[in-house]
Amino acid sequence: MNEIQLALLLLLVVFLPVLYLSGRRVQEGNFPDLRPILAFNALQGVTARAIETGRAVHISLGLGGITGDTTADSLAGLSVMEYLADQSAAAGVPPIVTLANPTLLPLAQDVIRRPYGTDQEEAAEAARHVRWIAPGPAAYSAGVMGVLGIEAVDANVMIGEFGDEYLLMGEAAHRKKIAHIGGASDPSVIPYVYVSADQTLMGEEMYAAGAYLKRKPWHIGSLLAQDFMRWVIALVIVALVIINTLF
Amino acid sequence: MISRTVATVVAMSVGLLVLADFFVNSDSINALGLYLVRIASIVAAFTLVLGMVNVLTVHLGKIYSRDKGWPYSWVLLGALFFTLGMGFLTGGPGSAWMQQVFEVVLFPLEATLFSLLAFFSIVAAYRAFRVKSLETGLFVTFGVIVLLGQVPIGARLWDQLPVIKDWVLEVPALAGARGILLGVALGTAATGLRVLLGIDRPYVD
Repeated sequence: MNEIQLALLLLLVVFLPVLYLSGRRVQEGNFPDLRPILAFNALQGVTARAIETGRAVHISLGLGGITGDTTADSLAGLSVMEYLADQSAAAGVPPIVTLANPTLLPLAQDVIRRPYGTDQEEAAEAARHVRWIAPGPAAYSAGVMGVLGIEAVDANVMIGEFGDEYLLMGEAAHRKKIAHIGGASDPSVIPYVYVSADQTLMGEEMYAAGAYLKRKPWHIGSLLAQDFMRWVIALVIVALVIINTLF
Repeated sequence: MISRTVATVVAMSVGLLVLADFFVNSDSINALGLYLVRIASIVAAFTLVLGMVNVLTVHLGKIYSRDKGWPYSWVLLGALFFTLGMGFLTGGPGSAWMQQVFEVVLFPLEATLFSLLAFFSIVAAYRAFRVKSLETGLFVTFGVIVLLGQVPIGARLWDQLPVIKDWVLEVPALAGARGILLGVALGTAATGLRVLLGIDRPYVD
């Protein structure tokens, strides 16, 4: 076992019980106070506005799929989509969902169908709002710009894995004066999110969607575990710096 | 209910086996891990067919119901079948004809689209550079320093500008990026563990 494998195994061995204990704690009713994140507040109002205007919410899940390094980003996008799909189903205005990686297509269709339960006809109609645009970033962004430009869209939510093409789509939303909520985990894309979106989810904030929007106990517990691990890692870094400096 | 349980058990077992493959140097586990990853790649390749069916359904639906912009759907479907037919008739994506499609049509179009990024960046930067708070004030200050530090005129104005630019990029910017990456790594690990332990089941919920 090399050094990286050992470090990751150590991280896993510490993280796993912390995650379990935090999750149990929240499940028993000890809900912690979560710091406000404006983007999640904005997401809670997005569907209500869409219902008022009769226009749909566009959700972009980005370029990522479920077989790569950025699967967590795609799952974060799906969490947000799950919340918006639940809200929209009650009003009968399903969101328009676009994606670039076809491995995400069945999952996204499943998420949008779920709120309709046994109503197969409504569920099938909603699933038609999930669109695979193209696998490449240029073609995907061109397709999304087309959706934002041509179709009646009230809000643009872009959460997932993105590259430079984020700015093309973000600016298309801005030109149409559409409310725009964006999230990315790649530090080189975050500036594009910052300059084009009205509300932003930067880095790890993206993964907190289940905790903030759906109040899922295990998701809140995992936020507590992440905080604990961040402190552990920061203290280890400081300790190693001191040891390296002194010895 | 049974299908949910089976799906969860299969997903958890496969996830744990592939994780074990990363940590354990055993020939049998490595071979099994590789086999499972190959199966996943084949299944992922088949989703491309699902994607194509989705494209057909969406655009035929648009044409049928005369939605806004429906003529573009004809163009898209025409291009799809033209490229598909050409691929079949000329010997696949490696053939000279298909290479021409990529080099003469696709790559120039992609380059054109991405060249727009330069203009979009300027417009977005102009919007972001309006000082409205202390945060945007700092954003503008460091933005101007890095911008001037990158171009020859910056060094002519003040020879310390490139040095300050390097410091900004290598110390505060890098520290910030590493902080973000640390948070992302923890978030990714938490998401992965939740799926691995069957707490989150995006495949059956």
